[in-house]
Amino acid sequence: MSARPARYVGQEILRREDDYLLRGEGRFVDDLPAPIGTLHLAFVLSPHAHARILSLDADAALALEGVVAVLSGADMAALVKPIVAEIEFPGYRRHGRQVIAKDEVRFVGEAVAVVAAECPYVAQDAAELVEVAYQQLPAVVRLEDATRPGQPQVHDEVPGNLYFEGRFATPGIDAAFAGAAHVIRERFRSGRVGGVPLEPRGCLAVPEHGDGMVFHSSTQVPHLLRTALAQYTGQPESSLRVLVPEVGGGFGTKAQIYPEEFVCVALARRFRRAVKWIQDRREELLTDIHARDHLYEVEAAVDDTGLVLGLRASVWTNGGAYSTLPFGCTLETTGGARMIVGPYGITQYAYEARAVATHTTPAGAYRGVAQPTCYMAIEGVMDRIARRLGLDPAEVRLRNMVPTASLPWTNVVGVRYDTGSFVESLRQAMAMIDYAGFRARQPADRLVDGKYRGIGICSFTEVSGTGAPGWRARGLVRLPGFDSGIVKVEPTGKVTAFVSHAHSGQGHYTTFAQVVADALGCELADVRIVEGDTAATPYGTNTFASRSAVTGGGAFIRAAGKVREKLRRIGAHMLEASVEDVVVQDGRVHIAGVPGHGLSFQQVAETAYAMNTATLPEGESFGLEDSDFYDPPLVTMANAAHIAQVAVDAEDGRVTIERYVVVHDCGRIINPMIVDGQIQGGVAQGIGEALMEEMVYDDSGQMLNASLLEYLLPTAADVPNYEIAHIESPSIDTVGGFKGVGEGGVIGAVPAVLNAVADALSRLDININTKPLRPSLLARLIREARARPG
Amino acid sequence: MGERIEVTLTVNQRKRRAQVEPRLLLVDYLRHELGLKGTHVGCEQGACGACTVLLDGRTARSCLHFVAALDGAQIRTVEDVAPSPELLHPIQQAFHRQHALQCGYCTPGFVMTTLELLAGNPDPSQTAIRRALTNNLCRCTGYANIVKAVTAAGKALREGSQA
Ligand code: FES
Ligand code: FES
Repeated sequence: MSARPARYVGQEILRREDDYLLRGEGRFVDDLPAPIGTLHLAFVLSPHAHARILSLDADAALALEGVVAVLSGADMAALVKPIVAEIEFPGYRRHGRQVIAKDEVRFVGEAVAVVAAECPYVAQDAAELVEVAYQQLPAVVRLEDATRPGQPQVHDEVPGNLYFEGRFATPGIDAAFAGAAHVIRERFRSGRVGGVPLEPRGCLAVPEHGDGMVFHSSTQVPHLLRTALAQYTGQPESSLRVLVPEVGGGFGTKAQIYPEEFVCVALARRFRRAVKWIQDRREELLTDIHARDHLYEVEAAVDDTGLVLGLRASVWTNGGAYSTLPFGCTLETTGGARMIVGPYGITQYAYEARAVATHTTPAGAYRGVAQPTCYMAIEGVMDRIARRLGLDPAEVRLRNMVPTASLPWTNVVGVRYDTGSFVESLRQAMAMIDYAGFRARQPADRLVDGKYRGIGICSFTEVSGTGAPGWRARGLVRLPGFDSGIVKVEPTGKVTAFVSHAHSGQGHYTTFAQVVADALGCELADVRIVEGDTAATPYGTNTFASRSAVTGGGAFIRAAGKVREKLRRIGAHMLEASVEDVVVQDGRVHIAGVPGHGLSFQQVAETAYAMNTATLPEGESFGLEDSDFYDPPLVTMANAAHIAQVAVDAEDGRVTIERYVVVHDCGRIINPMIVDGQIQGGVAQGIGEALMEEMVYDDSGQMLNASLLEYLLPTAADVPNYEIAHIESPSIDTVGGFKGVGEGGVIGAVPAVLNAVADALSRLDININTKPLRPSLLARLIREARARPG
Repeated sequence: MGERIEVTLTVNQRKRRAQVEPRLLLVDYLRHELGLKGTHVGCEQGACGACTVLLDGRTARSCLHFVAALDGAQIRTVEDVAPSPELLHPIQQAFHRQHALQCGYCTPGFVMTTLELLAGNPDPSQTAIRRALTNNLCRCTGYANIVKAVTAAGKALREGSQA
């Protein structure tokens, strides 16, 4: 990176996206005009978690006026190949999924037929008339039951319902435990949740002349989607254009590629008509990926000062009924096992990690992936060490952290932390919330004004901007890692910049413009960002896992740098100066130190595009654009400390978050306003996950709360005012120095809130090792504790 | 599907006459018959507030109302909030300045809720704001900036600043 001062990067610049969104002019997938004659789809969903499909009678449905076709799993199998998540990792068992179940259904909500009709209401009505006869089979639902002998098998290819099993151990792990003064053991169980974006999913496939197809989808991964659609439906990739409209929140949920997308494209090909599908909320909750159905069994070997000498973790994740593209069913498993050491200098570590198959909704990537749960475990262990040894929980963390002076540090599983501020972040967060004062005032019984009051910490590292080696390390051989940008100065001097990403609320039109304007040396107002169109944008890995600032920013800096050099070469030639004497600044190409002696971008561009009488320098090519990609290192590690202060009502068990402090370090910040927004939204999701959200299944595999009336999301009354500060430790391993921030909010909030409640209830001898902590649960635990003698 | 019902209603200050199926929901009428796509659908069950409009001046979930029952009603949607293509309403301006929206899917609903709140209570307390905002779900922002925006909008409206 050059030492040029940034003009826009780092500034709180208001968003370009807001005006149209505030006017209700954002065009989300259901707002797109569908061509006349569009077919609308409705899926028939299995009411059973596990059953054999005996027969399917579509006569009544087909008799409805406006119904064009009803297709079964067998019909669709002729059009779309079985979907296989290609993970190459020792211990992984591959299996396929039909886009519509053919013989057997494996979770409630799995599609068994699809109706295509002239209008969405008719499609819905017809779906209800499709009669399916099932032979119900016993289902396996709970993670704890999946691998027990005698359980129903989810897939023949997955014996014992074990999708994946992996192990790791450092040579000195047993010795660390043998010599330890204390061993702390705990079991942490995390309830299953989902991303639940406010906009459900949807897509619209529009055949074009020849074999062309335009596919609009509310996806976070347009390029990966296009490749997958081509691979499985036979639609030539080169004649398939994926367009991403406004997307009403993604959070990873929309980064998976779903069966309905394949069905839409396949039926548009089959009928040569536009095909549209809009999901309803029940389908969203039943069929979009779930996450966090995890169990951690952790033991820490600890010395008398609270130093962790060794850590053993057994990580179990419920993968659900299928492995989903593009991450498969092992993302959470390998993530939890690999990330649990966090900011701590733990050098002896062993894990066993397992993903199991059950008759439940497939698991996938939801914001934070395994980090909220693996920090629930390790941060819960830190608190237990403190309680066992009579130390302060903050002190235990500080003793175990990798000090800044030891960075760069390669952790025990080989992940490099290039820069960071683990100790400083925690200390600053403690100062902001007056941690010492709180502890000094906190009575031994934690009761203040009839409420139990506690404080909880989560210190963590946050994986962001994963490059190809990072995905390979987790067996995801088909996830590229890089992203790309094209920067183009148009003949009029305006700048269009294309990037492989696709936004779902992150403000890319604003932040990427800041990056490009600085890297190119032009006015912010002159830059326009284009994304979410595979016909215009270069290939890339797309937008999930806190990637866009790192990979898109890096790609743009590299591409803009090349264009800037070309501007200089042509400008120098026009100014009859040597290239070394010419700079590009504030939208002009001029002699260094003499802004008056120079040219506008337009003047240089006209030469580049041969629209004037000037000539190009010898050997220079026409045009004024260039592209580049950026593949970051293994991962780009951000870090943060969260501290929550809570009150637990002794009677009704309700938790109020009284204060919430975050100190975050995402390296070089592009736009502080947007960074804070990411953190605030994430913290709210984490509070929801810690206190109320859970996909509840009964023993037969029915999801009991598949509606927003019963799956509770946090409201404005459930969340606090967030107090946020930043430390900037620019990455030295990435182009641009950026680190991601998309997931930190939720990662930190889940453990911080749980630990705060645990602290509040610590004198009652209540063990908080599960989530969500619903009022009913806490009220019962408090009641029981108070009834205990002593 | 058989029987149709005739209704006359006012939408964004324009009189509309419609022959509707009894099961036609207000949100579908607004979106699909009038092309007012700023009113969004998040749940169709009255839980999320993305479909919030003003019905005779009060917030209403347009996914829960049948058009057939709205004869004579006055409806206002987000499309009728900004004073011009150049200017935003002070509430919208405050949302912009306070970064109170990310994906923007919930935003029209929040704008309508804020309109109602500030019309009835020009200087609401933080608690009153948070209580009113429980009408709507937002999955992106964590609400804090929305609370700030409502506070700022109230102030701007009280001071009569339209800029
Ligand atoms: S769509 Fe009407 S309340 Fe959710
Ligand atoms: S801004 Fe996305 S749901 Fe509110």
